[in-house]
Amino acid sequence: MKLSSIGYLFKEGFKNIWNNRMMSLASVVVLVSCLIITGAAALISVNMSTLISKVGDDNQITVFLEKELSDLDSVRLGSEIGKIKNVESYRFNSRSDVLKEYRKSLGDDIYESMQGDGNPFGNEYKVRLKDLSKYNDTVTQIQKIEGIEKVSDRSDVAGKLTKLNYFVTIVGSWVVLILAVVTLFIISNTIKMTMYSRRFEISIMKSVGATNSFVRIPFIIEAMIIGLLSGLLASAALLGMYNPVRNAASGIIGMIADSTLTFDQIWLPALTVMSVIGIMIGLIGSIISISRYLNKEGGSIIGK
Amino acid sequence: MIHLENVSKVYPNGTEALKNISLDIKQGEFVFIVGPSGAGKSTFLKLLIREEKATFGKIIVNGRDLMKIRKRKIPYLRRTMGIVFQDFRLIDKMNIYDNVAFAMRAIGTPEKAVKKRVKYVLKLVGLNGTEKRRPNEISGGEQQRVSLARALVNNPEILIADEPTGNIDPERSFEIMKMLVEINKRGTTVIIVTHEHDLVKKFGGRIIRIADGEITHDEFIHTKYQPDKLSDSPENTETDNSEEAENI
Repeated sequence: MKLSSIGYLFKEGFKNIWNNRMMSLASVVVLVSCLIITGAAALISVNMSTLISKVGDDNQITVFLEKELSDLDSVRLGSEIGKIKNVESYRFNSRSDVLKEYRKSLGDDIYESMQGDGNPFGNEYKVRLKDLSKYNDTVTQIQKIEGIEKVSDRSDVAGKLTKLNYFVTIVGSWVVLILAVVTLFIISNTIKMTMYSRRFEISIMKSVGATNSFVRIPFIIEAMIIGLLSGLLASAALLGMYNPVRNAASGIIGMIADSTLTFDQIWLPALTVMSVIGIMIGLIGSIISISRYLNKEGGSIIGK
Repeated sequence: MIHLENVSKVYPNGTEALKNISLDIKQGEFVFIVGPSGAGKSTFLKLLIREEKATFGKIIVNGRDLMKIRKRKIPYLRRTMGIVFQDFRLIDKMNIYDNVAFAMRAIGTPEKAVKKRVKYVLKLVGLNGTEKRRPNEISGGEQQRVSLARALVNNPEILIADEPTGNIDPERSFEIMKMLVEINKRGTTVIIVTHEHDLVKKFGGRIIRIADGEITHDEFIHTKYQPDKLSDSPENTETDNSEEAENI
């Protein structure tokens, strides 16, 4: 292809959007609607995962050490806990710190009387796990360490959170995938309609000796611009709705405010991903649709 | 320039459109392809521009073997030809200038050259001053002249016109034919498919008659028509070989 053609083809791509403005508008409306639905599903899924993951992070287990264990032995035991693969972090809580936690409920008098040898608590560790689904295995490994009295049993909560996270990830992925396929189908049909309305133009281009790439490029550029524009509009709409919806949801469930992604965290990825998806849909849809006409010749393009 | 040897075309539905035809068209010839509807005239043209591939035989056009030509080379074959359609095939969204310029831009001609050539060709077909108008704002005859200008703009070696006067009134048809004769005088091979016997008789030239997929006549008719006399009308031209013409 000659260099002089490239500028012309780009100009044609832009010009075609205006010349075929009704079809362009229809394509943008369809694509924006599909991208908003798919994008909303993706955002809900990502936020649910973040929420569950944060709840999971807070769900630390407590490892109670034997009361007789000295502070030195307790520290040594802590390093044993740290060696277990699924342990993300562990924090030492001395018996006097544990007693302090109960100071308010016990009252100052009782608290004072429990100081020193009267302290009924032993040292303990607050342990966070990397993967909650491996809760049982990790607890068993911890229990095997000598000097441990017991481990707080939160297997029920861990199990439920793991299942919920798995459910949200799987369902969210399927919803997004199905919506993406539906979007591609609708867009492909919209592009086919555009191509059909311009089959005459394509047949003339071919009859005067235009190469297939010369015919194809303005359509592809046009579809990519429409895709980009739709991606930008859809992300603007989604981002515009994000904070109001998030605030409303936080009003109902308080933890949403702290445990979901903020506007600042999502605007750039959302804008980028949706613009790229819009461009890709335009690119793939137009390549598939125009190939149908490029493989035909003369009158058969316009159905004669 | 054009060489067909034992060419047959059978469509997938079994229709035998052309049966074992052979002919040669030399550079600078003025040829009418005539015959009734369904005789195989359109198939003949489609084979020449490689819209269809012959089932059997050999076709050489402008030095290219159309039985062996690669798909990606077909556009380059078509650039050596200009095609005029019965239904003009102009793009309504484009003005007259762009409709003609389109054929040059489609083959990557620089804009400066496009401007110069389009202006010249529009003047040649008598359409200077109409550049900004749209196809739906001009008459059928003018639309066909735009179509002719588009076919000529790339300076083709062969001009193929498929029923060029089919959709326009007799007076305008005569004007179009005069232009085709003048183009031929400048050295371009002109092939016209038509069923309008009057025009064939008035203008003469090589007449190839196709009937039922076969060439039944291939002869030359002389007329007294002089293309230089642009004021000529169909009424004041005479046919020399009137007997031959009656047989077309």
